[in-house]
Amino acid sequence: MNSKRSFVLRGGHVIDDVTGFNRVADVHVEDGKIAFVGSRAVDPATEVINVSGNYVSAGWVDIHVHAYGTLGFSNPDTIGVHQGVTSFVDAGGPGIGVLDQFMDLRDRLETTLYAGAFIRPMGLLGLNFIEGNVRTLGNVPITQWVDFAKQNKDMLRYIKCNAMGDYGPGTLRLTKGLAEILGLPLYMHIGEFQLQNPEHLLAPEAFKIAEAGDMITHLYHGNLGQVIDENGKVLKVVREAQKRGVLFDLGFGGYNFSWDVAEKAFAQGLIPHTISSDLQQFNVVRPVMSLANVMGAMLKLGMSLPDVVARVTSTAAQAISIRDRAGTLEAGKPADITVFKVEDGEFLMLDCYTKTRVANRRVVPILTFKAGKRFEANMTLGQDESNWFLQIAEDHVPSAAQVLSSGQREFLSALVEALGPATWDLSSAERLDIERALELQDLFHATRIKQDLSLHEALEALYACFLDNQFTMQVGLLLVRLEPDFVKSRFREVAGARPLAA
Amino acid sequence: MSEQSWSQLPGVSAETNKFPARSSIAGEGIIVFKTKTGYRGVQRACPHMKATMMAGELTANDTMVRCPLHVFTFRLSDGRGVNCPGFEIKVYEVKEEGGQLYGRSANELSLTPGAR
Repeated sequence: MNSKRSFVLRGGHVIDDVTGFNRVADVHVEDGKIAFVGSRAVDPATEVINVSGNYVSAGWVDIHVHAYGTLGFSNPDTIGVHQGVTSFVDAGGPGIGVLDQFMDLRDRLETTLYAGAFIRPMGLLGLNFIEGNVRTLGNVPITQWVDFAKQNKDMLRYIKCNAMGDYGPGTLRLTKGLAEILGLPLYMHIGEFQLQNPEHLLAPEAFKIAEAGDMITHLYHGNLGQVIDENGKVLKVVREAQKRGVLFDLGFGGYNFSWDVAEKAFAQGLIPHTISSDLQQFNVVRPVMSLANVMGAMLKLGMSLPDVVARVTSTAAQAISIRDRAGTLEAGKPADITVFKVEDGEFLMLDCYTKTRVANRRVVPILTFKAGKRFEANMTLGQDESNWFLQIAEDHVPSAAQVLSSGQREFLSALVEALGPATWDLSSAERLDIERALELQDLFHATRIKQDLSLHEALEALYACFLDNQFTMQVGLLLVRLEPDFVKSRFREVAGARPLAA
Repeated sequence: MSEQSWSQLPGVSAETNKFPARSSIAGEGIIVFKTKTGYRGVQRACPHMKATMMAGELTANDTMVRCPLHVFTFRLSDGRGVNCPGFEIKVYEVKEEGGQLYGRSANELSLTPGAR
């Protein structure tokens, strides 16, 4: 009982609505699990960590982040265990065509990463690429989804789609059908839009289609299709969904939180069941910064601290069906714990529309424990440019390419050969050949299988050709972002380079 | 590109004490930045969400400009989006002569869709 993952957190104010704690108590951890909360004798050999003056809760669960793909981070743990978050869900990063690549990222993180998989095969494209319109919805391989879900039961937490575009509610219905087949909640985005026709808004359709347990995110967004009407009154269709047991998620994001909408809706009792950040590379610097910052915004709206904490612990865990392993400090659960303080002062809080409010409290994480493993909070790591600035190394070969194995270099050689004279149009905001991207990805997989190279090694080789800082993103999408000749010449260059002396 | 294509930039000069500064070229609003190596102009609004580039920040040793709203970042050399493929901005060469600033489009000079 004396391993590093056994200790006592002494004197903190424990908030845990499942066990009913809202008072000072000790948290006893043994072998990475919660052993007991309350007062009892401590073996003198057990480490005691004094956390008095701070709050202690179950590790936070952020059900909406972007860790993988064009919106993700070089090191997603910077918005996870380093910011008090012990489990998070990638909201739409991967689709069925890239879930294997996504799992390669999951396997190297300290924070538990789940997939809120996207209906389209490549996952979210991000960056306002106009999606290949409804064509890609002809590509929903149900049997593949079912097989994947059987083999990876734990990883899929919901199926996501965007209530955007001018194609009618077909996407939403299709996604609802897939979610039902897989026995998962449907998760719908009603925030910022592409190609939105103000006459045919899809947000109200989302509220109609959702059933109990389904989720709608970006509750307080200020774009087309808000939850309130022009007089500030909560829409009937939203109220009806609320009564049916549809779950509302905050999803703060870079475009999706408006103080005006939030204040009006909150005053009428339209309150999110879950508080999530929607952190991604384009909003981590501002305005989102961290889940803790978003929790502060909810305090400012008037929510009590225990209510805020429940919405990032037990309620969030419940919404994505991981209450058996997260969201509470019940004895026997993994020791996922967040120690934080609430600071008094004057803090300027941004929404996504250049409106600000002055808050007199903010939430500051201090320590995180993941299955008993300790992490000091660091709220600036995530903001480091190298963590979010996905830049292609166009004028030099990244240093990571110099340490590739001979097998990896042979793979790149084989890939150039397989590509042959293949070409593709450089993608732009107006044009993205998603089918071509999927073909290129198939070629990547066929070649690595032929070369008998693991997916991890093949991905490592590919990323090393183009990225100084490791980001993980859809292979097909990465390639169609780059000029075909540049891709081939870089593969040749890296494949032909002599490895550093062993 | 002939010398005639340079035009004097109104409302801004070498004496201007605060950059970035607003100006225009052929009736189109531009924002002039002072960099470590001289001056450079960019279009007035970010192509993403139309935020004003007056609030843009120079980065990468003054070779790129970053929109403050969602950190979309563009190369000052040719206007290409660095972390936002598919997006680009118009960029302008700006030179100083006798205290006056003159500008002309730089995209025609260097904008090639090549990756190099």
